[in-house]
Amino acid sequence: MNPSSIPGLETPDSLPFDLMRVPGLGHLFRWRYARPLLQIPLLILSVVMILHGLFGPTLAPKNLATTLSWLHFRGVLVLVLLCAGNFFCLACPFMLVRQWARRVFRPRFNWPRALRNKWLSVGLFVLILFTYELFDLWSSPWWTAWLIVAYFLSVLVVDGFFKHASFCKFVCPIGQFNFVASTLSPFEVKVREQDVCTRCHTKDCIRGRREPISDLVTIRGCELALFQPSKVGNMDCTFCLDCVHACPHDNIGILSRMPASELMIDPIRSGIGYFSRRKDLAALAIVFTFGALLNAFGMVSPVYAVERWFGGVLHVSHETPVLGVIFTFFLIVEPVLLLGLAAWLTRAWVGKGWAGTRRALVPLAVRYTYGLVPLGFGMWLAHYSFHFLTGLYTVIPVTQNAIASLGRPFLGEPLWTLTGLPANVVQIIEIGFLVLGFGGSLAVTYGLAEDDSPDRPLRAFLPWAAVCLVLWFASMWLMFQPMEMRATLMSG
Amino acid sequence: MSYRFSVFYGFICAATLLIAGCSRPVEPRPFLAIEHEFSPEPARVGPATVTLKLADATGKPITGAHIAIEADMSHAGMSPLFAEAKEAGPGRYEAHLEFQMAGDWVILLHVMLPDGTRVERQIDVRGVRLN
Repeated sequence: MNPSSIPGLETPDSLPFDLMRVPGLGHLFRWRYARPLLQIPLLILSVVMILHGLFGPTLAPKNLATTLSWLHFRGVLVLVLLCAGNFFCLACPFMLVRQWARRVFRPRFNWPRALRNKWLSVGLFVLILFTYELFDLWSSPWWTAWLIVAYFLSVLVVDGFFKHASFCKFVCPIGQFNFVASTLSPFEVKVREQDVCTRCHTKDCIRGRREPISDLVTIRGCELALFQPSKVGNMDCTFCLDCVHACPHDNIGILSRMPASELMIDPIRSGIGYFSRRKDLAALAIVFTFGALLNAFGMVSPVYAVERWFGGVLHVSHETPVLGVIFTFFLIVEPVLLLGLAAWLTRAWVGKGWAGTRRALVPLAVRYTYGLVPLGFGMWLAHYSFHFLTGLYTVIPVTQNAIASLGRPFLGEPLWTLTGLPANVVQIIEIGFLVLGFGGSLAVTYGLAEDDSPDRPLRAFLPWAAVCLVLWFASMWLMFQPMEMRATLMSG
Repeated sequence: MSYRFSVFYGFICAATLLIAGCSRPVEPRPFLAIEHEFSPEPARVGPATVTLKLADATGKPITGAHIAIEADMSHAGMSPLFAEAKEAGPGRYEAHLEFQMAGDWVILLHVMLPDGTRVERQIDVRGVRLN
C-alpha cells in the first residue's frame, strides 16, 4: 500500500491540523527552551518522589513515589499517547540531567553496531515487567524510588559513554513502550511540504545547525537518526523538537493524521528501515501486546490459583521459577503458537503473495504482528486508566500528608477519603478502550491483508482476525475478573 | 579516561553510596504487647471483626486505651478504612472493618495509652480472600 493512499499520511488536498500553528502552543514549541521548560517540573517531581520513596511512609498508598509512579504517571502517559503523541519523551526529566552532564564532558564512542536494534530494549522491557511482579514494585515506595534512581544513573552512564541519543533509541524500556504506543497517536512530527525539503541543501534537521567558522553545532539535528523528509510515523521519535528548531525553513510541524495508519504501510523508514524486515521491532510489538495482558493478569485473582498450580507441578515454593514459566508462556509460547498458526493459515489460504512468490512464515508473521499493537494498547489503556481514574484524587491526601510530615500542614489535614471515579463508571471506559483496540487491530490487519492480497483480502485477513478475537476475549475476561493485589503471590 | 570523566563517575558512585546509606532513625518504643485476632479467619472480602488484646510489660491488661484503626491496601489508589476499637473487656478491644477488595491489607493501629503515651503498630493481613 502506498503511503499516499492512507488518509492522514499524505494528504495533498486536505491540510492536516498542525499543533505548531496553534497560537501560543506553536510559539512555545518553537522556543528553544521549550523542552527544558517542560522537563524541569518533571525533574523536580522525580526528586520529590525519590526522597519521599526513600524517607517517607513505607505504605504505598501514602507515598508519593508509588502513588505518582504507578497511578498517575502511567495513566497520564497512556492517555496523552492516545490523545496527542509521545509528549512524555519530550518532557523526559532523564534527558535534562543528561544534557547538563554533557556540558561537563562529551561522549566519545558510537553505540556498538551489534546492539543497534531493539533486542536489548526488548529484554529490558521484559525485565521491568518481571521485576514489577517479582518484587511487587507497586507496593514498595523504597524500590520504586530506587527504580527512578537507577533510571537516572543508567541514562548518565549510557549517554555518558555513547554519542547521540543511544539510551532513548536502543535502551530505554519506557521509550520503547512510548514509540510503539505512539504509532497509534493522532499527531506526528513531520515535514509540511516535501518540496521544501527537496530544495534544501543544508539538511539541518539531521545534521544540526553549525556555526559558520568554528563548525560547532549550535542547534542539534535529530539524535535518533530520523531524517525528516523520509521519516514515516512516530517510531523512534521522541518529539524532542530538535528538528523543528534546526529546520531553517520552518517546514516541520506536529501534524494530525489517522492513528495507526503507519502500521498499515511498509515503506522504507528513515532510521528504521522496513517494518516487515525488523524481527526485533516485531518482538517489541509482541512484548507490548502480550505483555499488556500479562501485566493485567498479574493483578487478578486467577493468577494465584495458576501460580499455586505451577508451584505444585514444579515442586517449588519460590516465586521466581513460577513467574518465569508464566512469562515464558505469555511472551513466547502463546505468541509463537497464535502467530505461527495464523501465518501458516494465511500462507495456505492465500497461496502466493507479493510478486507471485510463496512467502516464508516468519516474514509473514512479522508483517502482521504490527496489526496486534492496537489491541495491546487498548489493554494498557484499560489497565492503567483503571488505576489512574479510580485513584485520581488520592494524590491530594498523599501530598497533604507529605507536607504535613514536614511540620507545616498548610494544605490542611489529609483527606484520605478522596479516591477517584467509581469503579463501575471506569469499567465502561475500560470496555470502550478494549473495543477501540480491537477495532483498530481489525482495521490494521485488514489493511495489511488488502495490500498483501488485493484479490482475496478476506483469506489473508481471517486468520489474523481470529487471533485478534482470541486476544480481545482474553482481555475482556481479564477485565471482569476480581482484582486481588497481593505482594505474596505464592502464599495462602 | 579524562579527568572530567573520572570526576563525573566518581560523583555518581559517591552519590549512589550516599543514598544507599540512608535509613530512617529508629526511635525507642514503649513496651506494649498487642495480640490480634480476625473473624472470619482467614480474612475475607466483606465485614470483619478485629479483636485486640493490650498488655503491659508484666502481662497486665491495659484498660482505658484509645485505639484508632486504619486499614490500607498494599497498592496505591485505594481509600483507607477507618474505625475505632471499643473496649469489650479488660484489655480487650474490638473493631469492625469491611474489606472491600481481595489482596494484602495493612492495619495501622494508632494507640493512645491511658497515660497519654502514643504508640503506632502495624499488622499485615496477607491475602484477604474473595468470598
